[in-house]
Amino acid sequence: MSFDILWFAFHILIFPGLLFIVVMGVLLMGINNKMVARMQNRVGPPILQPWYDFLKCCGKETIIPRRAQKFVFIGAPILGFAVLITAALFIPFGGSSVLSSTGDIVVILYLLTFCSVMSIVGAAASGSPYAGVGLSREMVAMIAYELPFVLVLLAVGKLAGSDSAQGVTFSLATITEWQTAHLPVICHISMIPAAIAMLFVIPCEIGMHPFDIAEAETELCEGTLTEYSGAPLGVYKLTHCVKVYVMTALFTALFMGGITTGMVVVDVLIKILVCLVVTFLSMTLPHAVCARFKVEQVFKFYWTFVSALALISLVLVWIGL
Amino acid sequence: MTQLFDQFYNFVGTDINHFPIFAIVTLFLGAFIIAIVGKLNKTLRNVIVFIVTIIPFLLMLSLIKPIMIDGGVINYWMGNWAPVGEWAIGIGLEVDALSLFFGLIVTLAVFIVAIYSFTYMNRDSSLENYYTLFLMLSGALLGLVLTGDLFNIFVMIEIMTMTEVALTAFRVDYDGALEGAMKYMVVGSLGSSTVLVGIAMLYSQLHTLNLAQIAASLPSHQNAVTAAAFAFLFIGFASKAFLFPFHPLEADVNAVAPASISMIISGVITKCGVYAIIRICYILFQNIELPAVSISVTLLGAVSCFICVTMAFNQHNFRRLLAYHSISQIGYVIMAVGLGSMFGLEAGLFHAVNHTLFKGLLFLTAGAVQYATGSADLDKLGGLVKKMPQTCALFLIGAASISGLPPFNGFASKWMIYQSVFEKASETGNFVYVIVVVVCLLCSVLTLASFIKVAQSVFFGQLNPEFNKPEVHEVPVVMQIPMWILAGLCVLFGVFPNFIQKYFLTPAATAAFNVTNYIDTMLGQGTAAKAGIQQTEIGTVSSIGCWQPVSWLWLLLIITCAVCLIAVLGSNDNKKHATALNAEEKVSDLVGVKQSGAGRLNNVAADASLKGVASDHLLSDQELIIISRDRTIEDEVLAGEDPKYENFFSGEKSEFSQVGGSDLFWGFKHDMRHYFNFQKDWHSGNVNDYTTYGVAAIAVTLVLAILFL
Amino acid sequence: MFQKMIDDSMKRSPWIFHINAGSCNGCDIELVSVLTPRYDAERFGFRLTGSPRQADIVVVSGPITLQSRDRMIRTLAQVPEPFCVVSLGSCPRSGNVFKGSYAIDGPLEKWTHVDVSVGGCTPKPEAIIAALAKASAILEEKRKAMRQADKADKEKRS
Repeated sequence: MSFDILWFAFHILIFPGLLFIVVMGVLLMGINNKMVARMQNRVGPPILQPWYDFLKCCGKETIIPRRAQKFVFIGAPILGFAVLITAALFIPFGGSSVLSSTGDIVVILYLLTFCSVMSIVGAAASGSPYAGVGLSREMVAMIAYELPFVLVLLAVGKLAGSDSAQGVTFSLATITEWQTAHLPVICHISMIPAAIAMLFVIPCEIGMHPFDIAEAETELCEGTLTEYSGAPLGVYKLTHCVKVYVMTALFTALFMGGITTGMVVVDVLIKILVCLVVTFLSMTLPHAVCARFKVEQVFKFYWTFVSALALISLVLVWIGL
Repeated sequence: MTQLFDQFYNFVGTDINHFPIFAIVTLFLGAFIIAIVGKLNKTLRNVIVFIVTIIPFLLMLSLIKPIMIDGGVINYWMGNWAPVGEWAIGIGLEVDALSLFFGLIVTLAVFIVAIYSFTYMNRDSSLENYYTLFLMLSGALLGLVLTGDLFNIFVMIEIMTMTEVALTAFRVDYDGALEGAMKYMVVGSLGSSTVLVGIAMLYSQLHTLNLAQIAASLPSHQNAVTAAAFAFLFIGFASKAFLFPFHPLEADVNAVAPASISMIISGVITKCGVYAIIRICYILFQNIELPAVSISVTLLGAVSCFICVTMAFNQHNFRRLLAYHSISQIGYVIMAVGLGSMFGLEAGLFHAVNHTLFKGLLFLTAGAVQYATGSADLDKLGGLVKKMPQTCALFLIGAASISGLPPFNGFASKWMIYQSVFEKASETGNFVYVIVVVVCLLCSVLTLASFIKVAQSVFFGQLNPEFNKPEVHEVPVVMQIPMWILAGLCVLFGVFPNFIQKYFLTPAATAAFNVTNYIDTMLGQGTAAKAGIQQTEIGTVSSIGCWQPVSWLWLLLIITCAVCLIAVLGSNDNKKHATALNAEEKVSDLVGVKQSGAGRLNNVAADASLKGVASDHLLSDQELIIISRDRTIEDEVLAGEDPKYENFFSGEKSEFSQVGGSDLFWGFKHDMRHYFNFQKDWHSGNVNDYTTYGVAAIAVTLVLAILFL
Repeated sequence: MFQKMIDDSMKRSPWIFHINAGSCNGCDIELVSVLTPRYDAERFGFRLTGSPRQADIVVVSGPITLQSRDRMIRTLAQVPEPFCVVSLGSCPRSGNVFKGSYAIDGPLEKWTHVDVSVGGCTPKPEAIIAALAKASAILEEKRKAMRQADKADKEKRS
């Protein structure tokens, strides 16, 4: 009994829980920065740079503006981080996930939304007009990527649920099982547009460079983060890193899950490799190549091009290809 | 405890059959008593209102065991006019689990609104009229959901409509109050008469008004007239639920009615429309399993959901925005109800009760804001969290619930809705349902967006100087208690959805499918079989069930605590340092300048090539010593409140600059301006237009019904 | 140990906030060129931020015109401790060619404590990087001093 609890605590805190998630997030973010730098023929920051940033923020003074609502201002980043870790625990990574339910895709979708909402609420509580504009943009970005995201999830759910009694699944465990039994989802031609759409959804969900309209430092003075300093800012930056892990791991679970060699270590290494590839394709490339989008460009891009890709997949799956 | 319950039920015995009529009569009786004695004494009036609203609630609660848990159905013939032969000639009440489910919603909401009104309405005059009308409205609502007679439903709808009109215009001096009431009277009467026409057509065909008897004889008497009657009844009830295209009315009504009445209108009156729609589709006509009906009802829900959520996006008035969201959520309910599956109906019912809770909560917070500030204008308000922290917390709970954020109740029911709709989609292979799921999820995000807008422009952001005065403060505790009750229920329903499903949703949904039982209880065993109605197969709830939030909720709690701990440990020493350093710096001001000046020369030497250029412009050491900080100007600039804790304004002096309701999302609104302008055009606010839409809706439904039924 | 790690990372991740106090834009362009692929100050962890709340090093360029003076003072007041001020170019040090003008109220020392000053009109990017590196080392020392002051404070109290 006590061993079970210890084992569960190990899962939550060490692997694939808190520690592993944070380390992975920091590494992926650092490697992403490095790759962007190399693509621009720069040396680039050290791979542990996000970690240094976090530590440095912890060492700074935390200023709470007079107009800010103190409790919400401090609580929002912390709650957002906790929610994101919880979402990460639903994602299987080389083995089964720590938590699972029959509809964990919907749960993950809403927990990710919750995390973004926390940054919005924190910004609103700071009382800064820059943050006000920033949160409005963040919300527009959310509306923009949510449509293709949902379409992708539905397409995968329909494909992977074809064996089950209901004909559809919202469960990541079922999707993984299905991929073990058949091929990984990405090997089906009908799902390739969905995978591309998902690659586009990832950077916007995270708020990476070409889509970081909410935190545009040059126009909006960091937007939602204008008034944040010290430890809460560090938590936001860490949340940002962890989101990289969550989104890439989600992509891996949805499209390339279920590949097992029987050894957990090898599985995890393969997954990390896949995560790196996904990071490169979805974040590094657009970051190195594009300048920041305008707000309405993001919106149009996601609701036309990306949504169309996802919709193609959904229709193809629906007619049984 | 169980013994106590047993004793109670033994004591009551078969008298429990009288409970439903007691509940209805108590409310109506209360209305008349208030009309007589309400003027005499304020305390007496409030006590009477409290008693007559709590009694029906308790009566309904006591019916949970026999009906919800034991699965019984209570039938009661008024004046003991039991059926003669096979003909039900008297008026009967028939309370099955579905009726009781809505009865509980009605009585709970009425009770909470009554408590809230005591303080909320204390600035108005002639309150005895308010309470009389309010109690009549409540009685009508309860009667509507408990009755077993079609014409009785019409009578209750008429009482409901007329009292609602009067209550909308209760604050006559409000801008637009009379206008809203007038609009609702015109279009509401259209809806009521449509119901009456439907009833007349059914009566002409079946010669009975009893719901059970109609249910028994309809399947063998299907013809064009009954199809038309279905269309009339459906659209009539839809107008009472304010579904598309009747939705602009609710906005007009809710923006001006007292907030307590808004909660009743959006939380309960719409629910009565939903109840009636479930009743006619599942029990009376039993046609929900026809694909045509199922798809059209689901689509109607989806269209209402989408149009209202985008309309809400554009509103600048707090209450108007809430009103549109109300219909958007009713859209979800109707969408799920239209699926015709057991799980779908459960999801719909769950969302219905959740909608009463969170929408009631939101309307009450809106009322509290208006009570404190006298305004509901999103462009004017702002930063009220400092003045009304409790109301803000309550609002956030309500907003999180309606946007479907876990772990609140909205998420639990929306989760069930997505599951059921997508399940239906893959069962039938119909792509329409997939689109409906996508619309659902999209509406959820848009809902979130407009509540972010409210949060930013009412509670967060900057406090408008106009409201920065001592008169603006937190509302009294008596107003907070009902809101906290609702908020608590929101959380409870979100954390324990399994409990709700087991004891409330499954019995209610089963009752909706169990037509034979409904007929047999009312008209005697075997009637249904004689009429040729088969025991419909009651679908099992699919294996998906409810989601179980409890395990990971603990986890969330633990992680939050852990992160809090780290954050506290990491940041506790900074503030002290800062002050210490500042003090130190100030003391060694003059000396410091000299020291750092000397040090600087070395720094520049880092780049030897620069030395020549740099040294031209460098000051000599002597000059440096002469310079001391010009304290006076600096003190002047930094005078007043410490600018360190002001908001960052790019160096300007911090000033009032609120990003309000219409500033948010302007880019998005500009992108979608064609759509939004189109919406604005046809929501003209003109009662003639609204009536035309109503008539058009009736025509379309008629054509559809006659073609497909 | 955690505190030591924080001290160490203080110099590894200094974020820069740039105040233009009436500069002719020459220095500003050079500061930006420091972050371009050719000089790549990001390899030392430097990053431009948009808000003084997140800044560790405040870079001031320009001869402190009367118009920009009050804004600069207010912005400097909003930076969280510990932070460094770097004066960029000759203007904030001496007024440069604008010295004596009725419209300027320099030098920067008059208004704030300057940690590192880099001269030149305009300074070379290499010099700016050297100055920033120096500033980040000072940053670490300030943090250490803060901790020591805190420790001394505690001992004094006990």
